[in-house]
Amino acid sequence: MRSTRHVVEAENDTGPGHYSDPPLLVLASLASGPRHGHAMIEDIASLCGTRLGPGTLYGAIARLEQLGWIEPLPAEERRQPYRITAEGLHVLRAKLKTLQHFTKAGLRRLEAL
Amino acid sequence: MNRVVAHLLTRLYPRAWRERYGKEFEALLQDGRGDLRTSANVLWSALREYIFPTRGANMAQQINSFGSIIKRPSAFLPLAMSLTALTLVLVHITIFGAAREADEGTTAHLWQILMAGQMPVLAFFAIKWLPRAPKQTLCVLALQAGAVLASIAPVFYFNL
Repeated sequence: MRSTRHVVEAENDTGPGHYSDPPLLVLASLASGPRHGHAMIEDIASLCGTRLGPGTLYGAIARLEQLGWIEPLPAEERRQPYRITAEGLHVLRAKLKTLQHFTKAGLRRLEAL
Repeated sequence: MNRVVAHLLTRLYPRAWRERYGKEFEALLQDGRGDLRTSANVLWSALREYIFPTRGANMAQQINSFGSIIKRPSAFLPLAMSLTALTLVLVHITIFGAAREADEGTTAHLWQILMAGQMPVLAFFAIKWLPRAPKQTLCVLALQAGAVLASIAPVFYFNL
């Protein structure tokens, strides 16, 4: 998984409230079933309001595939669907738990202000 | 996005990346928006791919392409040595003529060193690369043989 430095570089929507960690977003999108690139972009946009650019999306896909966290399925015409692997699910779960702890701690601090 | 623009944008990526993802990426670009922001995103991502290349999936195969093998020192050094030897002979003929000399001069010695010196490099290259990528290595060896013949030809032709 990439560092948060990449989050800043690759995000396409930088307004407040948007979250953009492309590899994590791709994993989260594929957690509900196999998808091809265009469907992933739309799903991620509905999930967190971030519309990934095609270059950013495929940068994440290539690295996730290299890590073995996603894998390609047989192509549908020119579209290539991907699915999350068991290892990818494990990583996603761990990352989301970390984020959950982080979010709770952050919100608690805000409430104390 | 326009088909031509999508194709051109995909061409910005390194060949190894294109061979793995090019087709599906081009299809994605064609399905998506064709605005300046998308083009900038692709341009930036292609640049990143050159700086931090993705090595995975089927891309490892590209390590043994003709282009990557010819860039190996053991591939291009013999070529460079043969061409240098050929240049030396041609310069010598231009300046001193094609008449045979009684004693071998500096040019002749340099030519011999260059031609003999590349033999171990050629052997090393063939031994190392023929088992890994036979077809590409044979192409490089053919180039090297052509360069050797080209540098030997004037010596025999002018009986130097």
